Amino acid sequence: MDYPIREFAVGGGLLIAVVATLHVVVAHFAVGGGLVLAVLETAAVRRGDRPMRDLVKRSSTILLLLSTVFGAISGVGIWFTIGVVHPAATSSLIHTFVWAWATEWAFFFLEVVTALAWVATWEKVSPKTHLLLIRLYAFAAFLSLVVIQGILGFMLTPGRFPSTASFFDGFLNPTYLPGVLFRTGVCLALAAAWMAFAALREEDRAARARLSRVLGGVGTLGLAVAAAGWFVWEKALPEPVQRLFLGEKPLLAALATGRTHTFRILLVAALLALLVTALPRLQSWPVALLALVACSGVLAGYERVREGVRKPWVIAEQMFSNGVLVTEIDALNEKGILSKAVWATKEAGGREVPTGEAVFRAECSSCHTRDGYLGIRQIASAMDADFAATFLTALRDDGARWQARAAGQDVKPDYPFMPPFVGTDAELEALAGWLASQNAPRTAEVSRAR
Amino acid sequence: MPGETPLPALDPMPIPGPPWLFHALWLVTFAVHVVGVNVVLGSAILGTFASLDRDRAFGRPIARLFAEVSTWAIALTITFGIAPLLFLQVLHGRLFYSATVILAPAWLGLLLVLMAAYYLTYAAKFRLRAGKEAALPLALSSLLFLAVAAIQVAVHLLSVQPGRWEAALASPWAAFSDRAFLPRLFHFVLAGVTLAGILLSWLAVRRAPAAEDRATAAARATWGVKIALLATLLQLVVGLWLTISVPRDVLLGLMRGGAATMAPFTLGIAAGFGLLVFLARVRDPIADRSSLRRALELFGLAMLLMLVTRHQLRDVYIDVAKAGAAPATAAQWGVFAIFLVSFVGCAALCVVALRRSATDRPGPGGATA
Repeated sequence: MDYPIREFAVGGGLLIAVVATLHVVVAHFAVGGGLVLAVLETAAVRRGDRPMRDLVKRSSTILLLLSTVFGAISGVGIWFTIGVVHPAATSSLIHTFVWAWATEWAFFFLEVVTALAWVATWEKVSPKTHLLLIRLYAFAAFLSLVVIQGILGFMLTPGRFPSTASFFDGFLNPTYLPGVLFRTGVCLALAAAWMAFAALREEDRAARARLSRVLGGVGTLGLAVAAAGWFVWEKALPEPVQRLFLGEKPLLAALATGRTHTFRILLVAALLALLVTALPRLQSWPVALLALVACSGVLAGYERVREGVRKPWVIAEQMFSNGVLVTEIDALNEKGILSKAVWATKEAGGREVPTGEAVFRAECSSCHTRDGYLGIRQIASAMDADFAATFLTALRDDGARWQARAAGQDVKPDYPFMPPFVGTDAELEALAGWLASQNAPRTAEVSRAR
Repeated sequence: MPGETPLPALDPMPIPGPPWLFHALWLVTFAVHVVGVNVVLGSAILGTFASLDRDRAFGRPIARLFAEVSTWAIALTITFGIAPLLFLQVLHGRLFYSATVILAPAWLGLLLVLMAAYYLTYAAKFRLRAGKEAALPLALSSLLFLAVAAIQVAVHLLSVQPGRWEAALASPWAAFSDRAFLPRLFHFVLAGVTLAGILLSWLAVRRAPAAEDRATAAARATWGVKIALLATLLQLVVGLWLTISVPRDVLLGLMRGGAATMAPFTLGIAAGFGLLVFLARVRDPIADRSSLRRALELFGLAMLLMLVTRHQLRDVYIDVAKAGAAPATAAQWGVFAIFLVSFVGCAALCVVALRRSATDRPGPGGATA
């Protein structure tokens, strides 16, 4: 939070979500594509199955274009985006996991080289060499997923890391293996869904139906594995998070609802996969498109829920989403948030920002926009300064509870989805006044209307 | 102004290895990345010129060659850009993140620009393979790659000069109006054009061409050499411009570094002059392939030495801005060993994959599957 601050009209969180969702869908397809294509090409070579070989070949260019171009750039894109929205958290993660990221990069390097070579050598090398290339690709792509899941899981369930600061305690965290299982399943399902379009381009009807059935089977298997992975993943989450899913906090109903919707989407995807497996002649462009959207929806829903349950943390039990560390709550209450977030008073464009607004920028703007996603004007529309001050005081009181919880005590903050307010009394009053002032234009409009 | 700008605090989390290790890995991986950047940038620019050549029989094959090379080079360049970015963040995260936040619209826009440039290169490649015109996609991709380079240069310069942050936050153009911005950008662009020119010549004469192809190969190689020579001449001017555009304190800091800083700098300039001499000596590229090879080697040497200077210059910039600090260290040697084994293993597998792809051929009547 002592970094310069950039507010985005759509909200930093939503920006990350958009970039990340696009990337993960393509990245999971790239991993699953490797696994499925390696198996199918092996089968095609062993059986001399021409239609299956053509299916693999038709799928190869799209795999290359999506994984080495869009996947690679959007992967860097997530990094760029989180670095801009959450620089302190990104720095902390880099310091802890740079070798893991470097290891993932090594596998990604192999993935890119083998993808390029595999696509470039159709008809030019022996089947043995061509199979070697796709198998190496599948191996590298899958291991890149295995590595990155350690970091993603850590952000939600850091395990014993906060007390031991051990890399392996953080990496092999409670949701690591369940996450790998879920993602592997989704990879297979997404690959089958993408490849269904290539199968539909097979001209021979019988062969088309056979290929669709194979892909339907792969999709069914993938979704079953994903469902099992999700089940185990939920069991590995801390008990308070599991209670959220059951609707313990009415204010977080969207989270429980999101989970339910994701299950429904998973059910639709599974039904479509089963349908195509049982009645492959029903496979068509609309069905394939629906299946692809559904499989992507399962992954997007999972990521949304995963991000949702992590709130208010950006790194669980250590750093809140606004960059405040649990360990610095007392110091910031004493010295003031603006003693650290000095850039909050300087806005892009050169405007000097008044104190209350600067506190908003420092503490709230990483999640709340002004008028867009989680827009503060909408939220503050019913607040006057007294109400806002009371609410912020309650949030500040939560600070001690978060500290106690981080120390291992069984304490529940009153607002478990919000970071505590940290800062001096003057800053609290200034923020309360600014929040109330956000209501003023609307009040004036209502008065004028009357 | 330097020193007055509030810097983000050092990350309390220790870095997982000694700084020298990150510096070394950063330099090595960045060198590979920069070779790729030069190939991509130079190929895009020369490919555009070639595709605009009135003599289509001469220009199109060159444009196609560059487009074919570029699609591989872009993928590998992006991939090899990830590693130095990682190590940079370990050492100078607070400076780097601050600059990217300040220039966020351009920094995030870079991704879209890069993706568009990449897909345009593929579009050009497929059009050229089909025997169609590709001047427009190649020209657009060149402009977009130039934009990517410009944004990278601006972010880099801003990150090492915290004293300029506030002005750049008020108006992003302040970052692009840095005195060193243009010469630094041109320095990159000319290096790319030089490398692409030499590579084109080298590929044309790498193997002694058959008699009927000799004229084409010679014309192509001569064109490449002429362009490389012109770009290297311009590079000398731009190099001087770049040197005098560096802030005085920073330049003095570099000179005060003694042999450690002045040796790579001086040798890099000498290699540049050597490159010029070898390129100028090439009269018949087919007969004088050894000069071309020497030119390629000298280009590599000059680039490596200039990368060392660039790295040292960054540290001097940071020292002058009083933005350097010694982070706490808690080495993770076990995880580093995993990385090292993975990297060596993956590199070896890449070599196996590429070698098999290049040498293996299907048996009689044997298709791929």
